[in-house]
Amino acid sequence: MNVPISFDHEWQDLFLKSFEEDGPWANYDIYQLAYKVAQRTAVPSFHDLQAPSYLADLTPLPHQLEVAKKVVTEMNGKAILADEVGLGKTIEAGLILKEYMIRGLVKKVLILVPASLVSQWTIELNQKFHIPAVAQRKSYVWEQCDVVVSSIDTAKRMPHRDIILEQNYDFIIIDEAHKLKNHKTKNYQFVQELKKKFCLLLTATPVQNKIEEIFNLVSLLKPGHLGNQAYFEELFSAKNRKLENDEHLRELINKVMIRNRRQDTGIEWTSRKVETIPIHFSEEERALYDAIESFKEHDNPSSAFALLTLQREACSSKEAVYMTLKGMLDKESEEYTPPYPLIETLMDRIGNIGKTGRNSKAEKMVELIKKIDDKVIVFTEYRATQMYLQWLLQQHGISSVPFRGGFKRGKKDWMKQLFQNNVQVLIATEAGGEGINLQFCHHIINYDLPWNPMRLEQRIGRIHRLGQEKDVHIYNFATSGTIEEHILKLLYEKIRLFERVIGNLDDILTQLEMKDFEEYVNDVFLHSRSEGEMKLKMEHLSSIIDDMNDGEENAANAAT
Amino acid sequence: MQQHDIHQFLKGYFQSTECSILEEGNGYLTVQLTIDQDKELMNRPFYWHYLEKVGGEPNPASLTFITNEQRAPQDIKGEKVHFGSPRLHQIFQATRRFGSAIRLYEANVARSTHNTALHPWLNMNVIVSYQCDHKRDYLLSLGIHLITGNIIEDFHELLKGQALTPKIPDFTFTLSPIIKPKSGFNRLHQYIEKHIYEDDHSWAEEAKERWQQDLDLLNHFYEDIEEKPSTYDIEKKALQDQYEPRISVNVVNGGIFYLQEGTVRTLLQRKMA
Repeated sequence: MNVPISFDHEWQDLFLKSFEEDGPWANYDIYQLAYKVAQRTAVPSFHDLQAPSYLADLTPLPHQLEVAKKVVTEMNGKAILADEVGLGKTIEAGLILKEYMIRGLVKKVLILVPASLVSQWTIELNQKFHIPAVAQRKSYVWEQCDVVVSSIDTAKRMPHRDIILEQNYDFIIIDEAHKLKNHKTKNYQFVQELKKKFCLLLTATPVQNKIEEIFNLVSLLKPGHLGNQAYFEELFSAKNRKLENDEHLRELINKVMIRNRRQDTGIEWTSRKVETIPIHFSEEERALYDAIESFKEHDNPSSAFALLTLQREACSSKEAVYMTLKGMLDKESEEYTPPYPLIETLMDRIGNIGKTGRNSKAEKMVELIKKIDDKVIVFTEYRATQMYLQWLLQQHGISSVPFRGGFKRGKKDWMKQLFQNNVQVLIATEAGGEGINLQFCHHIINYDLPWNPMRLEQRIGRIHRLGQEKDVHIYNFATSGTIEEHILKLLYEKIRLFERVIGNLDDILTQLEMKDFEEYVNDVFLHSRSEGEMKLKMEHLSSIIDDMNDGEENAANAAT
Repeated sequence: MQQHDIHQFLKGYFQSTECSILEEGNGYLTVQLTIDQDKELMNRPFYWHYLEKVGGEPNPASLTFITNEQRAPQDIKGEKVHFGSPRLHQIFQATRRFGSAIRLYEANVARSTHNTALHPWLNMNVIVSYQCDHKRDYLLSLGIHLITGNIIEDFHELLKGQALTPKIPDFTFTLSPIIKPKSGFNRLHQYIEKHIYEDDHSWAEEAKERWQQDLDLLNHFYEDIEEKPSTYDIEKKALQDQYEPRISVNVVNGGIFYLQEGTVRTLLQRKMA
């Protein structure tokens, strides 16, 4: 064996001094604690992951643990993590970083991510991994903090750049690393100059177009792994080979890159079958909707929002409209005068609908549920509608239970239990928050639509999640010639929201940095002076989302 | 170390450094630091320097540690302490420093007609680390009898059940070491070296292979470039940092223990039984 052994002599000298000078001596309690600290912080084996046992609050998925283990034991702590979106690359990176920190091999860490994700990374590392990451806001942070999260654009600028290059980093993480595909960019050259003892490059789209891009990425991580520039060009680019066709190249890349596809994760990701069901108002229902519309044109802008709400409710049920009007009357006070003409007109229209005793949408729902003949979740935005639908289903001999966000934990569980074992339909006003899994159900009816795609995603996520074994059917009700139809056609269908995969939308909305999507949509409807303007604005919104998505998808496909 | 252990550890640390526990509840702990501990943990030398200059009233900080966020009351404000947090590591280091050297005597020595002789044992607890791009540690707790030179392992654990006291008990006297502590340490070093040599070191050979492989790739990457750019040296240094096998022996703590002649033998026998 020719490994140098270094003994720490400093302690011995201090001890001998104490021995000669008869002190100072420690007390036995703290002496024993010090031994305990050493025992607990010692790493018992080269290969077994220590991190999971330190992370009580986190339950990593099997593929995430496998990635962490592989990076630590087989890839020597240098890897491109290229899982498809939504499989948890951040969790994988956190696990690996934590592992090295526990082992005492890593202290100083630099994490470079897009500006919009700096806070999210910082929070996740702190909360999920107990890693004291700090978002870089002041320039002294580089030197004083061990784990720093920053945007690459900040980091590469002076004076930060020079300070960073002076730090002796043990570990570097770069998120959205596909942005480093071009070796001529400042970002690339900056990252190249960082000392990368251990390094993770994260990207969902490792290869977008050209084969040089993967060469650049790999060369950043492990120079020479794919040969040098000349060699690589001669061997691969010159013949214009494609990555997917070249077994040898693929093998080499697999040594430094891990890419889990949904299907490899052992997680069943079934598809989403989406159907739009057009609803046609009866004459009386149309009259109610149009009456609101006419007030919208004449009324003052301060009540515009209330009218918009009433219109959405009119697409749902007369009961929903009624409850809102009643609320206006109940609120009457010295400061507030209810809009009597409006209320009177609408009450009259509601009365007309009442005479027919019909609700076109609800009838369609009953028909559909009978046809499905299986468990169904119906989502509505309004409690009045929820109660009406429950009554209506009962009239048709269909059993149902309600579900609301406001229910206490126990009641939620009970309703879920009833739904699972006894009744056919769950009528919910909210996705019910996190933690409620309804994978045993495969059908969702969006009786009316929320104006926030995230909430829609959460609805679908109740059943389309890990553990769902069948395809998921989503039925969207849209009343023709109403704002409901606009939302569905101009926004949700345009961005193919319903076919989207889990997590994807999340990423896109984060990138958009759109804080309140719903507010934006409201705004479009409230302040557009014509239908044309409204459509144009909606189109604009959906095309932004779509562009982002296309970018991701193309890239993901190219990397296959 | 789990959150519960951390809680117990912090409590133990502050109690043995004479800080008072102001409040303790589910998942949290509030302590009043002593002046010494404030200087140790709060990192505010200017405050103390200023105070000592003007002779002001010292006001050491009190700290609340949240050791279990889920269980601690919602409204409580404090530092979350967990494995890997700088605060805990700071306290770990302080523990190692405060608990670094000790002198103890066997307690409860039965009174006899003659004064009882206590034999000097030198104890040293070390962490041996095998480190490359991976790492493994193990602890060695050694004790050497400074009269005979006899060395035993697991010394720390062995003495756990033994009553010990920091003051020499009445009617006892200590034998002077025949082997001076300094040469005692040398003998322990030799013992550790031998222990390490006899171990399996394929891990180091494998690390060197991985290092060489990556180095070959790196050289290939830059082979056509006559004047190597700085990135070449940076990468080369990174590879060395990453792979180079190293063994380090770090002392956790140690001490001098005065024990009756038969005590260690009795403890060993008890352990075997």
